[in-house]
Amino acid sequence: MPAKPTTGIVTQDASTPWLTLKMREAMEAWLFIGPTLAGFLIFFIGPLIAVVWYSMTEWNLLAQQATFVGLDNYDDALFRNPDFWLVVRNSVIFALGLVPFNMALALALAISLSRRFVGVVFFRTVFFAPVVTSAVAWAIVWKFLLQGEAGFVNQMLAHIGINGPNWLREPDWAMAAVIVTRVIKMVGLNMILYIAALQAIPRDYEAAARLEGASNWQIFRLVIWPLLGPTTLVIMVITTIGSFKVFDHIYLMTGGGPENGTLVLAFYIYKQGFEFFDVGYASALAMIMFVIVMVLTLVQLALRRRDT
Amino acid sequence: MKTATIALAASALALTIMSSHTSAEELRFTVWTGNEAHLKMLNGFAESFKASHPDVSVKFETIPPADYTQKLTFQLAGGNPPDAGWLMEDAAPTFANAGVLEDVAPTLNQAQGYNFADFSKPALGLWTASDTVYGIPFSTSPFVIFYNKDLFDKAGLEDPLALAAKGEWDMARFQEVAKKLKETTGKWGFEFKDGQGYDSRIMHALMPPIRAYGGDVWANKECGFDKPEAVAAVQQLHDMVFKDQSIVPPGEQGDYFSGNAAMTINQISRASLMEKAGFKWGIAPLPTGPGGESPVIGQAGIVVFTAGKQKQLAADFVAHMTNAENVAIAAQFFPPARTSVLESDAFVTSNKLIPAEQMKIVADAIAKGKVLPSHDKSPQILTAMKPRVDALWRPDANVEASLKAVCEAIQPLL
Repeated sequence: MPAKPTTGIVTQDASTPWLTLKMREAMEAWLFIGPTLAGFLIFFIGPLIAVVWYSMTEWNLLAQQATFVGLDNYDDALFRNPDFWLVVRNSVIFALGLVPFNMALALALAISLSRRFVGVVFFRTVFFAPVVTSAVAWAIVWKFLLQGEAGFVNQMLAHIGINGPNWLREPDWAMAAVIVTRVIKMVGLNMILYIAALQAIPRDYEAAARLEGASNWQIFRLVIWPLLGPTTLVIMVITTIGSFKVFDHIYLMTGGGPENGTLVLAFYIYKQGFEFFDVGYASALAMIMFVIVMVLTLVQLALRRRDT
Repeated sequence: MKTATIALAASALALTIMSSHTSAEELRFTVWTGNEAHLKMLNGFAESFKASHPDVSVKFETIPPADYTQKLTFQLAGGNPPDAGWLMEDAAPTFANAGVLEDVAPTLNQAQGYNFADFSKPALGLWTASDTVYGIPFSTSPFVIFYNKDLFDKAGLEDPLALAAKGEWDMARFQEVAKKLKETTGKWGFEFKDGQGYDSRIMHALMPPIRAYGGDVWANKECGFDKPEAVAAVQQLHDMVFKDQSIVPPGEQGDYFSGNAAMTINQISRASLMEKAGFKWGIAPLPTGPGGESPVIGQAGIVVFTAGKQKQLAADFVAHMTNAENVAIAAQFFPPARTSVLESDAFVTSNKLIPAEQMKIVADAIAKGKVLPSHDKSPQILTAMKPRVDALWRPDANVEASLKAVCEAIQPLL
């Protein structure tokens, strides 16, 4: 039977004559996005609103008792709890150490691995593999490697005459150790983003600049780097947010120690909520973290707009 | 018509089977242990419970010890409460104060032949408040020294059990043999409990020597870490870690159970790990000190949760699990708080891996020991202590100043 020819004109559906075409299209659209929207509202917006409410209560998880305390939790965190500012300081140090190091290394790797040469796929895989490795396994293996005298890292250093520190038991070194191991774990992701961005830049730009007599450094600084701007912004935002949210790595490698030297905000929130069972206070801290991350993101966006 | 009758009869039979199945009840019981021998014994209690409750089965659910209290709390808060469970001593006051533990006294008083008075009064301290019974101590397990006999022989040293028999097993001798063991065998002389003495087992690391020196971590709401006895005890440990280098230091892995440390401190429930150890071993009492003999006891109880759906049934099972007969069976792994079992010959011969003479050490320690400190703010106290204790474990640390800092941090919480 030959197919019925289509006229290209959408007619009113005889079964739903009371619906206009616009209404029917809208209804179909809502039906399509409905499941996703419901999930978003229930599992994202709902908890977000709930956290605002929780943050204004004194809620003991174990006893299941909640009392409204207004802004008392915020007041306590910001003005009365000295540990809070220590934790914020640690989080800022972690982010300041991790974000530039991660981005610089990712860019360097991307520049090296964006060209075609024999074995490039192997090297890309090697640097990307830690991203898909279990965070738990990664942290535990590094904890073993970074043991005091018996650790692999220190034994290697001893071969070249360096007496390595007890990496995870000395506050300053512990922070450095968690930053470096975190960067090695996550740099592959940013590397791939940069490789994609580099490969999207037409080669003509570079060729034209070269014809004009530009050096490699000038080509990078004046041609490549500005064109990488949008990608750099995305990487900076997600890496900064990720650095403030770091939890598993700290939990498994140092437990926030030694001497609270690696006690960062996300881990501190976890301790308040899931060790002391003080859900109200933990929620207030989570809201503060939300605001910090949002402000940092807006600042980065503003800086980017100013630059362009 | 005939087919229809058969179909009807089959449906009725199926419905009967299904309805009898749904009338069976299952109790959910959380425990920290995943050890095969422990679970076999616990399942045995569930099996014998069927004699009085044929339709009831008990499912033991293992939660690893490091996360035990936390995950249990989430289950209670998240509307998925177990009916009954194991509870560590440090969590007992917090849980009791939060009102999540059911009073099991009425059930125990009515249980035939239970004899609640058989339980040692000091052992019940954490679990009772006037006539209310929040739980029954199921493991009243003193800390003992596990030693690797092969390493002692290799070093040509008398083992701790022999030294204890001669009355020469004290803190000074402990330091001396640990040092010699490290020097002669190259293995660590001593490892803190489960290798966690600098992290999750701070109390287990510091408490025994402090009590041996006659001190305490706190008493009557007053911090004891900065008292001279505690300072002397911790100074000795510090010297052993950094001067003698005989204790596994922070940031290193030792592992007594795989033969890398000659001594450790633990409870007899860990003896089940020694079956395949591959070396000769034994247990000995904790070394004495200026404070005399001062055994330290770790305790756990079994409790019924108020949020559980089958509280009465769970209480019945707790009564069954802690009757004299079952406590005697459990004694091989979990030393009892029932005096009749503790004083029986059956107790000292209960553990296949530990000779009777060594089990007498356990019985003796239970009689003389004091339970580890508990507090309803235990998690906060430990968190407040942790950074100050971290500072203590630096090679150049001033022990007295560090312990003073510990007291300053925890005193407001006590």
